[in-house]
Amino acid sequence: MPAKISPNQPAYRLLGKNYETPDLVAKVTGKAKYAEDYRAEGMLFARLLLSPMPHARVRSIDASAALAMPGVKAILTVDDLPAPADAMTDLGQVIPANKLAERGLTNEPVYQGDPILAVCAVDEYTCAEAIEKIRIDYERLPHVVDPLVTLRPGSPNARVEGNVWLRPVAAPPKPGQPPPPPSAPQVQELKWTDADFAASKDGQLPMGKATDKWEYGDWEAGLKNADLVLDETFVSPNTSHQCLETRTAMAYWQNGKVYLHCSTQSTSQTVPAVARWLHMDASDVIVISEYTGGGFGSKITSSIQCIIPAVLSKKVGAPVMMRISREEEHFIGKARPSIHGRMKVGFTKDGRITAVDMFVLCESGPYDPQGDANQAGRQLSLMYQPPAMRWQGISVLTNTPPRVSQSQPGGFQGIVLMEPILSKAARKLGIDHVAIHRINAPEGKASLGPAAGGKRPYVTSAFIKEALDIGKASFHWDERKARAKRSGTKARGIGVATSCFVGGSVGFDGLFVIKPDGKVYVQSGIGNLGTESVSDCHRVTAEVLGIPWEKVEVTWGHTGRNLPWTCPSGGSQTIHAMTRAAFVAAHDAKDKLQQIAAKDLGGRAEDYEVGGERVYRKGGGGSMSLAQAAKRAIELGGIYDGHEIPKGVNKFTAASAQNLTGQGLLAIARDTMPRDGLTHSYVAGFAEVEVDLETGRYDILDYLAVADVGTVIHPRALGGQILGRSMLGIGHAVGQKWVYDQHYGLPLAKRFHHNKPPTIMEAPTKMAWEAVGLPDPETPIGARGIGEPPVGAGCMAILNALSDALGDDVFRRAPVLADTILASLEAGRPMEEGLTAHI
Amino acid sequence: MAIIRDIMPAFELFQPANINDAVSLLDRHGSDAWVLAGGLDSFDWLKDRIKRPKVVVDLSQIAELRGVREVNGGLEIGAMTTLTEVVRHPVVKEKFSILSHGAESAASPQIRNQGTLGGNVSQDARCWYYRGGWKCYRAGGNICFADTPTAINREHAILNAERCVAVNPSDSAPALIALEAQMVIRNVKGERVVNAEDYFVGPAIDITRMTVLQPGDLLTAIRIPATWAGAQFYFEKVRDRQVWDFPLMNVASAMVVNGGNIERIRIAVNAAAATPLRLTAVEDAVRGKARNAATGEMGGKVAVTGAEPLRYNGYKIPLMRNLVKRAISGVEEAKWA
Amino acid sequence: MGLVEFATSPWGQTVPIHIAFYLIWVAAIGGLAFLIVHAIYVQFFAKKEEFAPSAYPAQAAANVPAKVHRHTLASRLFHWVMSVAMFALLITAFLPRVGFPFDWVTYHWIAGLVLTASIVFHIIHASFWLDFWAIWPDSIDIEDAKRRWSRATGKSAPPPRKFAKYPMENKVYHLAILLSGLSVTLTGLFMMKRVRTPLFTRNPYIFGDMTWGLMYVLHGLAGVGLIGLIMAHVYFALRPEKFAITKSMVFGSVDREHYLEHHDPERWAPTSK
Repeated sequence: MPAKISPNQPAYRLLGKNYETPDLVAKVTGKAKYAEDYRAEGMLFARLLLSPMPHARVRSIDASAALAMPGVKAILTVDDLPAPADAMTDLGQVIPANKLAERGLTNEPVYQGDPILAVCAVDEYTCAEAIEKIRIDYERLPHVVDPLVTLRPGSPNARVEGNVWLRPVAAPPKPGQPPPPPSAPQVQELKWTDADFAASKDGQLPMGKATDKWEYGDWEAGLKNADLVLDETFVSPNTSHQCLETRTAMAYWQNGKVYLHCSTQSTSQTVPAVARWLHMDASDVIVISEYTGGGFGSKITSSIQCIIPAVLSKKVGAPVMMRISREEEHFIGKARPSIHGRMKVGFTKDGRITAVDMFVLCESGPYDPQGDANQAGRQLSLMYQPPAMRWQGISVLTNTPPRVSQSQPGGFQGIVLMEPILSKAARKLGIDHVAIHRINAPEGKASLGPAAGGKRPYVTSAFIKEALDIGKASFHWDERKARAKRSGTKARGIGVATSCFVGGSVGFDGLFVIKPDGKVYVQSGIGNLGTESVSDCHRVTAEVLGIPWEKVEVTWGHTGRNLPWTCPSGGSQTIHAMTRAAFVAAHDAKDKLQQIAAKDLGGRAEDYEVGGERVYRKGGGGSMSLAQAAKRAIELGGIYDGHEIPKGVNKFTAASAQNLTGQGLLAIARDTMPRDGLTHSYVAGFAEVEVDLETGRYDILDYLAVADVGTVIHPRALGGQILGRSMLGIGHAVGQKWVYDQHYGLPLAKRFHHNKPPTIMEAPTKMAWEAVGLPDPETPIGARGIGEPPVGAGCMAILNALSDALGDDVFRRAPVLADTILASLEAGRPMEEGLTAHI
Repeated sequence: MAIIRDIMPAFELFQPANINDAVSLLDRHGSDAWVLAGGLDSFDWLKDRIKRPKVVVDLSQIAELRGVREVNGGLEIGAMTTLTEVVRHPVVKEKFSILSHGAESAASPQIRNQGTLGGNVSQDARCWYYRGGWKCYRAGGNICFADTPTAINREHAILNAERCVAVNPSDSAPALIALEAQMVIRNVKGERVVNAEDYFVGPAIDITRMTVLQPGDLLTAIRIPATWAGAQFYFEKVRDRQVWDFPLMNVASAMVVNGGNIERIRIAVNAAAATPLRLTAVEDAVRGKARNAATGEMGGKVAVTGAEPLRYNGYKIPLMRNLVKRAISGVEEAKWA
Repeated sequence: MGLVEFATSPWGQTVPIHIAFYLIWVAAIGGLAFLIVHAIYVQFFAKKEEFAPSAYPAQAAANVPAKVHRHTLASRLFHWVMSVAMFALLITAFLPRVGFPFDWVTYHWIAGLVLTASIVFHIIHASFWLDFWAIWPDSIDIEDAKRRWSRATGKSAPPPRKFAKYPMENKVYHLAILLSGLSVTLTGLFMMKRVRTPLFTRNPYIFGDMTWGLMYVLHGLAGVGLIGLIMAHVYFALRPEKFAITKSMVFGSVDREHYLEHHDPERWAPTSK
């Protein structure tokens, strides 16, 4: 895995260097305990009974034979579960609950696999036998699994209430007030007309009424004055998250508190989520999740089904574990929504985009509206900087498993819709593919999305042009371009794609204690989801305090162990948000150390410096070790050892800090540092593919990802993220999908072997990454998140390379497999059904 | 009865130590018995509770079913020999490399370590409707869900479909057919030997079985005669994923070329029909002809005569044509330098 | 062991899919048992058939032609085409189910189409060219059937009258064949949408799972019913006392002796053509 950080990056003592993470040995030796590995005395098991129908109403449940079986303890239905509750923001604003949202169990299943009930018994075999004895009388309701089908006149709706999501527009914010929280989404019926469908040629997405719309600039004039206008339809796939660890959970109750072992991306943030689902006070919820086997956006705060063992445990008075099988994971594990997109894009002769008219249809599943359609437009507007743009979107319900964010949610689909057009335009205009990306790339505080409050928002920074330049040189783009494209039965092609996404948030807390043993005990509320940010962020603590990493102990994965309020590990926020939190906490410690030194050794606090595990007087003189300072902090009490908790930190952090009082020097702070702009990260991907024209199969010969992620904190983890998430994107290009039988509305591909996540054999023969290394100017350490943007770049660099090898119009949806290539080459025109869902 | 998957129901397990005990158990339990070889096919069925045998006869303890023996210049391969053992066997590699390639293209290294040659040729269809527990013809019902106006059938048959459009997924089968292998079958009445191409049964004859094996029958060994030892071989498998995937199609040929002409040839494809197909019409058409691209093209065209595509599997026609062409005249390699 | 086999539909519903195939054996064994019992009864227990005296004047009997025309050539051709198709259908349907597997489907639906065509022809032919009502039991037939039953069971009843063109058994048999034949052909025609034929696109979704299931059950019940019916038919055709009728299906006419012995010229006017 060749890797390179550009010399742009400033030199640090620890940052930008590899180290042994505290979870490494447990992971490679198998000692790491995931939710399923825990056992509790008297533990019972639960299994789910799933709906066999895509849409139905449960008329009655006869569980008498099951309950009469020895070893069967209880049955749980939705009637035992709390109703969807409103959420509360940090500002105290109420986010009203979506009344149609998933509750974990249901009496109106809206997709095959929707859990109806759970059976609790002494073991899983008994659960299974019991489930087979349960008789449920269903009233079958109309179903639809194709978002375009449900928009046709007279077609069925996925829910009784309708087939599309609407979010009533909130009143504009009053001057000086924060924007109001979003209103609860609603479902209603919307059908397009036959004329809408008739107006589109074969393969083109019909453009009926959209439910959402925004625009900026004069996009009509932009298209009118363009030298080239392309009108293209592309369809992105629905893809399961395919976490290796299914969302198993185990729960028990002690003294009115629920202890929940679950699989989650975020540790601290899962507490309020579970509390809301269970209608409990957050202080009575303990979440344990030391290791998580993948989330990719599907476990940001675990999943609602994790409350099933909790409620069952209360009902039967014993610990309950509910393991989730691979097939169940296919259903409740959720997926990325597919997007059907139709784009009209204008270009000048030299390749600059003049305007974009974007129409997107998002297949949102049955439960939530999803933000992917909107985010697709926003990220596209950032990545390609169209001077004018109209975005229209519609979020359609289908009777397929629920959707949720997946790595680069929406941003991915925006890139997938736009890249084929950029690629085609480059071919039509005779412009180099890297050049056309560069000419349209953002720079500095580039704008994105529509105006809010009269001004378009903008990003903190963008160095994607630098990434393209680095990649072009490292990939030997021009030499590759000069080579022959066909030989024997093979065709080769090269492709480049750019991609971007949100890369950081602000406002979270840092918390640690310097104890009299001289060590720094960091409390990490970050989830351990495989990104290593759980410890990477705290490298900043050691860097700022000038202590060796070996003196840092990280506590994570158990909210009973006094963790601070932390960002959700989703949307690539963590490395940005939590290096800032670590930075402010480290400075809080530094201030306190200086103050203690000044108290004991004389002088003013600012005369002192912290470094080399000591606090010492600048220019020589007295000093004290951190161990001594920690001891003094306890003696001093007050703010120094946590007897006084500063105002401003989250109450979650404050509660944790109180439990740490008196153990040493307590560092605690909330990130209130300014930031001008929205933090985003970027990746440029370069690929070369070779296609066998007689079989349609292709190999990815080489792949390079160049990331603009600001300062690199931990190269090995960053590389893992860049290449791992590139593979996630490559999976979308080469194979991952859902398959549905439309007549019955049932899935055919439910297991790894049919959903086809990529294997090591699908990985590019050569694969490398580089980082631009230019720090983000709006955050002190300069680091931005990386989890999202490699996905779109990975997917589309491959597909652009494929178009380069095969020409336009071989495929018009992802993934692209041998059948599509072979059939289209044979026929000389696109042979794949463009718009049918789930084929 | 509500449906639950991914957890095996109870059954009675027998682990006989020799073939005689195994066949007498199979005879005693008849159609109630399930033969368990490597388990890769069986455990899918059992864990999903779709096939629910009362009795499982596990062959893993029968030493005489394992191993590769040299017999008269050919080989006798025990049915329980793992695919990995077949792939790595020096004589297979040296004289019958087509089998080594076929077996090596199956599934993944882990699966080949556990999966057996007998299991690979006897495995059930992988049609996703059938494997999903849909009660289709093959499952004893009265419908093919994969051949309807809305069915998704990109992996299904283009030839010899009869109500059921599932394909045989074995990667070793076409190699064995090309090598003129014979299948040794035992039951309590004794032993019988059938040619590899006659081992497989299409839906026209028996829609619920893939092979001639009836309840009570046990495939004990596969014999490969010396006939094709050291011939020119070609094997290729096209699949969606390059590991752990069944074939979209595969092809195997064994050929003896004399003076540039094809003197003898056997060629077989799989995943085109419910049985592996020996392409005798192609063999007849190219026998005696010069081994060149024109002959290959011609053979390819003969191969797809009568092919009938479903809605999503039309690509299999050019795929089969091209694979058969390659199996006759080879691949035109790229020269990038 | 039910009469019908059920399956779980893709939606988890229990639906019938076809008859239980042991019914093939039930029909075959039942048919065989009937023949044996009937043969024994006729041989050892049955009284000689006795008819009420006919009102037909004796001298008129002399005018009865030597060969009394019974079946037109078209009728006979229809009968034999139908019987060939019927045998083909039974063989292709049931032999693979009882351990003789072969590629049966194409033969089965082709034979089914032949049967359907012959039935359609027969319905039109019988309605417009033949005496349509001749094959339907009339009040005399029913009255005579009661008399025969009483006499066979030892009660006193006047002897039954001679038959019209078709004996009562013939008429009842025709009715049974009509019901089972129409059931099997109508359901069979729909079932052709489920297999690949050159005639139309395969589409098993023109009906729901339950409708199809019931259709398969009806097809199966009618099919196994036909096993018994046809066994009985062949048996009677071969019985010596009925052989004249069998011959008439080949040659078109019955002998005057047979005619005068069994038929009432008042009810069936004799013609030579």
